[in-house]
Amino acid sequence: MSYQPVLTARVGKINPTSLSDYEATGGFQALARAVELGPQAVVEMLREAYLLGRGGAAFPAGIKWKAVREAPPPKYVVANADESEPGTFKDRILMESDPFALVEALIIAAFAVGAERGYIYIRGEYPLAIARVQHAVNACYNVGYLGRDILGSGLHCDLEVRKGAGAYICGEETALFESIEGKRGFPRLKPPFPTEYGLFGRPTVINNVETLLCVPPLILRGPDWFKSIGPEKSPGPKLYCLSGRVRHPGLVEAPMGTTLRTLIYDYGGGVTGSGELGGVLLGGAAGFFVGPEHLDVPLDFDGLRRIDAVLGSGVVMVFDTSVDMKVVLRRIARFFRHESCGKCYPCQLGTQRQYEIVARLAMDRLRPGDLDALREIGQTMRDASICGLGQTASGAILSALDRLGYDEMTGRFARFNGR
Amino acid sequence: MGCLPVTTSSSVSAPTSRLTLSPRQATAVRAVLRRYRGKGSAYLLPCLHDIQAITGWLDADLAAQVAESLHIPAVQVHNVLEFYALFYDHPVGRTIVRVCDDLACYLAGSEAVVRACAAHLGLDPEHGGTTADGEFTLEIHPCLGRCEQAPFLMINEEAHGFVRPEQVPALLGGAP
Repeated sequence: MSYQPVLTARVGKINPTSLSDYEATGGFQALARAVELGPQAVVEMLREAYLLGRGGAAFPAGIKWKAVREAPPPKYVVANADESEPGTFKDRILMESDPFALVEALIIAAFAVGAERGYIYIRGEYPLAIARVQHAVNACYNVGYLGRDILGSGLHCDLEVRKGAGAYICGEETALFESIEGKRGFPRLKPPFPTEYGLFGRPTVINNVETLLCVPPLILRGPDWFKSIGPEKSPGPKLYCLSGRVRHPGLVEAPMGTTLRTLIYDYGGGVTGSGELGGVLLGGAAGFFVGPEHLDVPLDFDGLRRIDAVLGSGVVMVFDTSVDMKVVLRRIARFFRHESCGKCYPCQLGTQRQYEIVARLAMDRLRPGDLDALREIGQTMRDASICGLGQTASGAILSALDRLGYDEMTGRFARFNGR
Repeated sequence: MGCLPVTTSSSVSAPTSRLTLSPRQATAVRAVLRRYRGKGSAYLLPCLHDIQAITGWLDADLAAQVAESLHIPAVQVHNVLEFYALFYDHPVGRTIVRVCDDLACYLAGSEAVVRACAAHLGLDPEHGGTTADGEFTLEIHPCLGRCEQAPFLMINEEAHGFVRPEQVPALLGGAP
C-alpha cells in the first residue's frame, strides 16, 4: 500500500472550483508540455504507454487517437461521463473533486488529434459534477485555456458540457452521439467505428473520464513511468469502486492488477454481514460474479479475461454469505429489462424473457426447461445484440449460477446460508 | 411563434393532461425558446432541460413549441421526451424523490428506505408515483452512482447518503 495516488492526487486536497489551486498543483503543465512536444509525439506516448480504456471495453486509447489524428477535419473529442454502470462512481468523484483535470485532458486530446470542438457528456443524475465541470470550463474560457489561440499555440478549442437525461444506454458511445445530436439514445451498428463515423458523422475520439485523466500525468512523467505501474499487458494506475458488504466502501486508487484480497481486506477492512465472503461482482451488472476461490487473481484486463471475468469499469461489489442471491439476480434482470433501449430484438425480447425466468427463480417457482431457456436466451443476446448492453445482459446472472454454488436439484445457492 | 398553440401538436399522440403556467413561468419559457430558436436538433436535450427546470414537465403543446423553435419535427421531440427517464410528458410532483434501489443500496438496506418513503407519502412501494396534491413524486431508481454512500436518495438535486428509514419523515418534511 505504498503506492502514491496519481489520478486522485488532488481529490479532497484542493478547492475544486479554484483554477489557481489546480495550477498550483501542476495543473495545465501537461498541456504546455503537450504543445512543446507536438501532437504526433503525444499520440505516440499514449501508444507506447499502452493506455487501455477505463470505461469497460479496454480498447487502446492510442489507436483511437492515431486514427482520428490521421482523419480529415472537422472532427471531435468527447468525454464519456455518462457513468451509469451499477456499482460505478469513480468518474463522479473525479469530476466533483478535480474537474479542471478533465477539461485539461480533453483540451490535450483535441490538440493531439486536431479537433476544434469537444463535448463532455455527464449523466443527468450527477448535478454537482455537472456544475463543477461547467464552472471549470467557464473558468478556462476566462483565462484563455479554451477558445481561440490557446497559450499562443494557434490551437482553437471549444468545449461544451452536455447533461444526460437518464438512460443507461447512452453510456454506449454511439448512443451517446445520438443523444448529443438530439435523438433517442439508440446505439448504431458498428462498423463504422467512431474514429471514422462518430459525432455528427465525423471522426471522433471518445474516451471515458478515467482514461482521459491518465493522460496529463502520462505526458508529464512519460510512458516508461506509466508502464512501471501494474502488469505489462494492462499497465497504469486504476480506480476500483469498492462497494457492498465491506467495512469501508469507497474509491480506491491502486496499481492495475491489485488482487481482490488486497482490495477487500486491506483497503476495505474486511467483509461485513456474516463476515464470510460469498462472492464478488466484478464490472457491474454488465460484468461477472466470481467466488472466493479467485481472491488472488490480479484485477486487470488481462488477468480477469483468463478466468472469464471482466474488470469493466472497475466495480468490485462484495456479497457475504448471508445475502439472498436470488433477490440480487432478480434485481440485475430487472435492471436490464428496464434499460434495454428496444432497438434490436435479441436484447429487447431477451431481457424481458430473462427477467421472467429469474423472477420465477427468485420465487422458487422454476418450470422445467427454464434454466436451459435462460442459457439459450443469454447466448442469443451475446451473439446477436447490436451493442454491449444486450451482449453483457446475461453474464452476471449466468456466472452466479455457474460459480456461486447454485444447485439445480435443491434450487439453492449452497454457499449462501440465506437461500 | 411564442406561446401560441401550434397545429403540429395534433400529429403527436397527446397526453390528456395540460400544463398550466403562471405568467412568470410563461415569460421564462418564452425566453428559453427564443434562446434556442433555429439552433437545430443538437440543442434539443439542453432546451428540454432548461424548460423542464421551469415547468417540471412538458405537455404536447409545449413540446410542439420546442419543435417549432428549434426547427425540428414535433415527432422527434415526442420521441426524446418518452425515451429519457429524466424528461416527463406527464405531470410530476414539484419535489421528485429518487431512491436508489440498485445492488449496492439493496445490500445496505434500500428496501426499508423505499418503504419508509412510500409510507410517508402514501404511495405504492413497488412503483412509486405522484401524491394526489401534486407535491411529491417518488421514483425507485436504478443505480445513482453513490454506492459508497449507500443507501442513497436524492430530493430534487439534493444528495443524501447513508440514509436510515427513520430519517425519511424529516428529510421529506411537510408531506401528508
